[in-house]
Amino acid sequence: MGFIFTTLIFVAIGLIASLCTRICCNKGPSANLFHLTLVITATICCWMMWAIVYLAQMNPLIVPILSEEE
Amino acid sequence: MLNDDKSPFQRTFVNQVKRCAEMSRKLRFLKDQINKAGLLSSALPTLQSDVDLEALESQLADHEHELIEMNANSEKLQQTYNELLEFKMVLQKAGSFLISGKSYESAEGRELDENVYPSDYPESDSTSLLEQATQSEPSNSSGLRFISGIIPKSKVLFFERMLFRATRGNLLFNQAPADELIMDHVSSEMVEKTIFVVFFSGEQAKTKILKICEAFGANCYPVPEDLTKQTQITQEVSLRLSELETTLDVGIRHRNAALHSIGVHLSIWMNMVKREKAVFDTLNMLNFDVTKKCLVGEGWCPIFAKPQIQEALQRATFDSNSQIGIIFHVMDSVESPPTYFRTNTFTNAYQEIVDAYGVAKYQEANPAVYTVITFPFLFAVMFGDWGHGICLLLGALILIAREGKLSSQKLGSFMEMLFGGRYVLLLMSLFSIYCGLIYNEFFSVPYHIFGDSAYRCRDASCSDAHTVGLIKYRDAYPFGVDPSWRGSRSELPFLNSLKMKMSILFGVAQMNLGIMLSYFNSLFFNNSLDIRYQFIPQMIFLNSLFGYLSLLIIIKWCTGSQADLYHVMIYMFLSPFDDLAENELFWGQRPLQIVLLLSALVAVPWMLFPKPFILRKLHAERFQGRRYGVLRSSEMDIDSEPGSARHHEEEFNFSEVFVHQMIHSIEFVLGSVSNTASYLRLWALSLAHSELSTVFYEKVLLLAWGYENILIRMVGLAVFAFATAFILLMMETLSAFLHALRLHWVEFQNKFYGGDGYKFKPFSFAALADDED
Repeated sequence: MGFIFTTLIFVAIGLIASLCTRICCNKGPSANLFHLTLVITATICCWMMWAIVYLAQMNPLIVPILSEEE
Repeated sequence: MLNDDKSPFQRTFVNQVKRCAEMSRKLRFLKDQINKAGLLSSALPTLQSDVDLEALESQLADHEHELIEMNANSEKLQQTYNELLEFKMVLQKAGSFLISGKSYESAEGRELDENVYPSDYPESDSTSLLEQATQSEPSNSSGLRFISGIIPKSKVLFFERMLFRATRGNLLFNQAPADELIMDHVSSEMVEKTIFVVFFSGEQAKTKILKICEAFGANCYPVPEDLTKQTQITQEVSLRLSELETTLDVGIRHRNAALHSIGVHLSIWMNMVKREKAVFDTLNMLNFDVTKKCLVGEGWCPIFAKPQIQEALQRATFDSNSQIGIIFHVMDSVESPPTYFRTNTFTNAYQEIVDAYGVAKYQEANPAVYTVITFPFLFAVMFGDWGHGICLLLGALILIAREGKLSSQKLGSFMEMLFGGRYVLLLMSLFSIYCGLIYNEFFSVPYHIFGDSAYRCRDASCSDAHTVGLIKYRDAYPFGVDPSWRGSRSELPFLNSLKMKMSILFGVAQMNLGIMLSYFNSLFFNNSLDIRYQFIPQMIFLNSLFGYLSLLIIIKWCTGSQADLYHVMIYMFLSPFDDLAENELFWGQRPLQIVLLLSALVAVPWMLFPKPFILRKLHAERFQGRRYGVLRSSEMDIDSEPGSARHHEEEFNFSEVFVHQMIHSIEFVLGSVSNTASYLRLWALSLAHSELSTVFYEKVLLLAWGYENILIRMVGLAVFAFATAFILLMMETLSAFLHALRLHWVEFQNKFYGGDGYKFKPFSFAALADDED
């Protein structure tokens, strides 16, 4: 449940960022496309990073074994 | 370039270019002179009153001539001055030798045989000398004489020994050091000199001594023995010296004034000459047409700039009052045009990173679009620590804030690279902060920013926390790596597994992106052959093997299965029909694996064989009709556009094409394994960074902090700061930068990038100024 929820948060952040770039720097069609590409790529990269780390910890095969305190 | 066939010396404007080169040589000479005289060339920002080039030329010739003369004169004067100075010193010191001898004589009385003196020393009172000399050495029948002079101090010893040997001991050598440093004109630096007087007898001895003096570079000056004569000559010499000094001074001031007046205009002149030379160089690339009445030139220009160019040409026609307008005609060309990407300050650095590997072919997909984000992101995966990220961010912000000031300064090469990449650094630092939050490392210390850990002790006493470990009682930590992992004994197995799988997933994703870009390239160039026989088998091959591996990774994570992925992949190849037993991750895995294996096996010949055969068939079809039409109406055809290349490739070398395709396919197949493994460097470097960070934190800072002594704590803090700054911030940044760059250049770009274009280099006056400095 937490996974899908946070994924939706990432999607929302991506949409808001694209809208912001479209509003702030509207400089012609090719520049707009470029900005959109950047935002989408960044969102996908960040989401992938988070998703990988989250999925890896969902059902772990090993647990932390504390080391001896000296 | 229409004039490729003419040598550089035949071109029309070669004389003008030579004159410009000569003028810039003169200007450089003048600049050198100004620098040597230690004057600051004040570049007055005067208006460019269009100085006529011819007038400038003659002016420069005059200046140069004048300056050379002045220099020669002052050289001569300086030399004379030095000689007189030496003479004066010799007079002073040698005089004292002779005087002491004289006083000795008057005490002893006169008693002498015959004295024959050399004609330049016409005095009669050297009996004193002789007296002194005869008491130490046997006197010769030809009488005693002396030579006085001056020699650099370093050579005195050898000089003396040489003289002794030459005259077989029949000499008296007196020396005294000079009071001040003198300019030695051999080495033109100030050296210490020693004044000497050599008493000897005999003609042969004299010649020998003179020769030795010459060999050692000692200057001999005649010193009169008479005291009054000495003072007289000394006075004369001093007078001449002061005269010379004033003359030299006046000369130097005159020269400096001349240089100063030149220096004011120098930079303007140099600029002008540079521009003229560039213009003539470019004119040389043009060609006179048949009637020799007009110049023809070919070049490239961006389509969006066409109206501007036409406007500029109209202005030029108007300004130069020519009767015929300039004709601007768009041509078709067989050559591939140059590549021109319009960049702003932000994207410029990324485009240069991509161009450093190879400039894009005309109109192919530009990887820089994705590199803007993926490059800093992959850097951050290897660098992830939000404490270090904040330091990098501060550095980047400082560079960006002082952009205006730093861009006009002349920076060292390292600073220049750093400044040019300031926006890259900015993005790198932002992504590093993000990845640092995910890895949960702040100078290697984890924090509970996003809530409590998902792990806790199994019971209240935590008795088996050190043996069996904690237990997971909640959902996974919402953002990033759980802070309980840091410092535990099973930290490394867990993190290694996580990061290795992460690297594979990123690698497969980026490589797929690369192959998709090759699809879009083929689509744009209408190359359906490439789509059908290259893109599709490549996609099938990569994804049925490594895409499937990524799928298995994700399924294993989601289900928490104990299956060993190494074994799954290996047995998929070795024994695909066997039962999977404990390696089964999902229902239908075995048949799916068999299907994927078969498709991968089919994809290899699919990308290898069809394309060369089809190319040969297409080529045969295209030139089928032409085989009989060899009657070339071609004298007109080939010569109609002199110089612009129109050649048709009539041959199709099948074996060459086939080998090329084979190499390409093998490269892809083997490369898919090696490139996927290459992405594991993301794991390796992030592990190294994390371990270094941990070591510095635990073994330096915590160790030093454990002591109560404030001095040790300070030292520990300082060592920690230096180690972090130099090793982690500088070395690791460079290292991660380099590896991210390699991943882009090789693993990402070899899936689609041609990179054999050339850059569009327009003629520009602004670029000139940067060029030659």
